[in-house]
Amino acid sequence: MFSYFGAQHLLWMQGLQKSLYRTFVEKDRYMAFLKGIGVTLEISFFAVLLGTIIGVVVAVVKHMSKKHHFLRPLEWLLDAYVLVTRGTPVYVQLLILNTVVFASVQNKILVAVITFGINSGAYVAEIIRAGINSVDKGQFEAGNSLGLRDGAVMRLIVLPQAIRNILPALGNEFITLVKETSIAGTMAVNDLTKAAERIGGATYDLYTPLLSIAVIYFVLVFGMTRLLKLFERRLARSDNR
Amino acid sequence: MITVKNLQKSFGEHQVLQGIDQTIEQGEKVVVIGPSGSGKSTFLRCLNLLEVPTGGEIWFEGQNITSKETDIHALRQKMGMVFQQFNLFPHLTVLENITLAPVRLKLQSPQQAQEKAKSLLERIGLWEKANAYPGQLSGGQKQRIAIVRALAMNPDVMLFDEPTSALDPEMVGEVLELMKDLANEGMTMVVVTHEMGFAREVATRVLFMDEGKVLEQGAPDTFFGNPQHPRLQDFLSKVL
Repeated sequence: MFSYFGAQHLLWMQGLQKSLYRTFVEKDRYMAFLKGIGVTLEISFFAVLLGTIIGVVVAVVKHMSKKHHFLRPLEWLLDAYVLVTRGTPVYVQLLILNTVVFASVQNKILVAVITFGINSGAYVAEIIRAGINSVDKGQFEAGNSLGLRDGAVMRLIVLPQAIRNILPALGNEFITLVKETSIAGTMAVNDLTKAAERIGGATYDLYTPLLSIAVIYFVLVFGMTRLLKLFERRLARSDNR
Repeated sequence: MITVKNLQKSFGEHQVLQGIDQTIEQGEKVVVIGPSGSGKSTFLRCLNLLEVPTGGEIWFEGQNITSKETDIHALRQKMGMVFQQFNLFPHLTVLENITLAPVRLKLQSPQQAQEKAKSLLERIGLWEKANAYPGQLSGGQKQRIAIVRALAMNPDVMLFDEPTSALDPEMVGEVLELMKDLANEGMTMVVVTHEMGFAREVATRVLFMDEGKVLEQGAPDTFFGNPQHPRLQDFLSKVL
């Protein structure tokens, strides 16, 4: 009885070793994974960057238009952007941008960056808007009373405090974004998920590469979580209030 | 220095200021008193356009600040303001709070601003707090630093909006002391406060506001010693 399980165990170990060998080592397939990680990180990084820029601009314009009425038409446009972007699936957005809007663009990584950046921007905008609202009105007034213009008050006084207040929510959004990029492979982008699918196709074993990239995604996100924690602690230096 | 003509301010249907005419000369220390909701804070906040008047004019150093063409940001550099809630910037150190605006507005070089901040902080005995954050200070220290932050801009007039109302009683004294020093140095001041002792001692003129109007004004002796308006008599009987 006991030895039967022992033998089974041994067989299973040998099987695992063999699948890992075929998935990673044979024909240097680990290179495809590494390249996939590179592409996933590249898309994520630039999409986060683009999304943050869009989000800050949208949130600040929306805030300023309360006081500066000439910004109103722009505000309606931005409202529509946020509404549509949040109201439709990111996969559908990717398909539309890839096959309709940017059909002639060969650089599919760029298309992915733009899609995920635009998508994330809408969520980031709402998070930052909440952050701006969380800063006391007296901070704006104190800045203005010193002769600073609204733009400087926003940049030097309000946004630093807003971002500190919303860092956990912002971190959540970035983590979601990294995982969402896994659908980029549906167009010809060799990201991490696509690499796993292709290797699975070659070895007739999808199970091992898919479980492997699940682990890799987890490690990536875990690393991000730690980085964000570090950043949060740095920003909290002045927090003894 | 400041001339206010028929100043009016409404929030929706509610008219908070119902036509105020005032002239504040250089070196005057004008203290504004009155019950809550009398419009005294709104009046003060109109002077540097934190509230935009709905009627009337305000002139400061020969410029109509209520006119659309006036660069209010430039004028605000000459009008220091101190708030009830201090409004120090919590993410910046004490020193950064003080030097931020003068440096950003290129009124002083970073070195000049630093030296100015140092001499001001030394004067109030808080130089050792230069690198502390506002959250690490007591209320009285915060308010004195807020005053110093305004002074670092070399303003021509200082506006105080109930500067001691949010303080614990034992900290009121240190803030009033600093304000008295300023007054003695000749600073033009407009102070909204409930501190009658301060009004008596420091003011060159006291205004009594109620329901959006200035009902009585005068030198502190006659103002407190021989009040004419029944609303003021009633008010003083309650607070003194």
